[in-house]
Amino acid sequence: MSRRAAEAVFQGLFLLCEIRGVLRETAPLHTLSAEQKAKTTKTLEKLEKQISILKEELVS
Amino acid sequence: MNCGEGIDTRLIEELYINLDPIQAGGRLTVDAMKAVLAYGDGYSVCDNCEKPFRLDCIKKPPLAKFHDDLAAFVNMDVARLVPGARRGFQAVAGTVVKKGDPVLLTAFSHYTEFLSVEQSGGIPHEVPPDDSQIITADAVATRIEEINRSAGKPPALLYVEEVDYQYGNLHPVKEIAKVAHQYDVPVLCNGAYTVGIMPVDGKKMGADFLVGSGHKSMAAPAPSGMLATTSEWADILFRTTKAKGDITGRTFGVKEVEMMGCTLMGVTSVGMMASFPHVKERVKQFDQHLKRCNQIVDALCSIEGTRVMSEYPRRHPLTRMNTTESFDKVAKTHKKKGFFLLSALRERGITGIISGSTKVWKFNPYGLTDGQSQYVGDMFVEIAKEEGLTVQP
Repeated sequence: MSRRAAEAVFQGLFLLCEIRGVLRETAPLHTLSAEQKAKTTKTLEKLEKQISILKEELVS
Repeated sequence: MNCGEGIDTRLIEELYINLDPIQAGGRLTVDAMKAVLAYGDGYSVCDNCEKPFRLDCIKKPPLAKFHDDLAAFVNMDVARLVPGARRGFQAVAGTVVKKGDPVLLTAFSHYTEFLSVEQSGGIPHEVPPDDSQIITADAVATRIEEINRSAGKPPALLYVEEVDYQYGNLHPVKEIAKVAHQYDVPVLCNGAYTVGIMPVDGKKMGADFLVGSGHKSMAAPAPSGMLATTSEWADILFRTTKAKGDITGRTFGVKEVEMMGCTLMGVTSVGMMASFPHVKERVKQFDQHLKRCNQIVDALCSIEGTRVMSEYPRRHPLTRMNTTESFDKVAKTHKKKGFFLLSALRERGITGIISGSTKVWKFNPYGLTDGQSQYVGDMFVEIAKEEGLTVQP
């Protein structure tokens, strides 16, 4: 059982939901404010971390 | 891009500003999206269901607390989750209306309110609106008197919409309920467009039953809704089963008859619950939402020949417009005919207006940001100018 992998899947999905929220807030032009860009950059960094965990846990 | 065989992934909310009048208040919050991912499995809230084995008693996830919080949110005594407002109407009618009973609805009642009356064997009667498309307490009193005379008894139940789906007008439920109670007529307030959108106080309004819609106004997945009542009615409406199998002798504990036992057992209840903290906050910002709506209405009304058919200034964002003398004139000669308006809007990333409508149509800008509502107003004006209509500065 890899609880770490299971949690990383959900963390990753939840982070993508945050980005989905930004897409909705900024539709249709998707021009992000400086604040939204900073927030989204952080979200993407966190997402990359979750992907790294999944690689470590499942395929390395 | 498909999310299942033959099932397109829905990208409307991500790609467009969606003005669909029934969809605005039901758009999920980010937390609801997360809950949907985690609780998509069928009986996913039932992992920790313990005695007395009923949805509103489950502590993990905190559904029991959510039920209490919901009742407090609308200032009623007891609340239950239901699979859509219509199931709330059905439960109340099933409890209160007997075969042949007259029942009072309004000219703005939803078809499912009528169906709930029909299912219970009641006879529907309507209250007409006044010239401003408002249901008044006087009109309700008149109809009750008429029914009393013709049927020999008052209506068994009055349905009244706090905000109606046709004009989005706010009706004086408090005055209406006061009149109905003078004739001992219980009042069901249909809050499908208000609970979760604006502050609602069931007891202050005098509602005996208050119904809300999760997927219309509480940022929840469908089908979801809420039925709340007072302590006076709770034991009657939420009566528990007395059924017993004649061969097995089985009985069914505390399952509630009108709820058919448990109601929302997975993604709907948890999605609704996940949005709830945000919903509680957003009703406090209702004035901001109204301001944005009024800005769009003002922009539309700056187009010569355009008028708002709903009450104005708006007291709810669901709005009915009449563009017979503006956009419909364009449609008469446009190569796309009546479809030009939605087409022009979609080119600009806006959708949700009924395709082909250029005479009378509705929109609902609830939930848009300042920037998005400004954009919507600007785009209507831009389309009007592009088609040669006169726009007042």
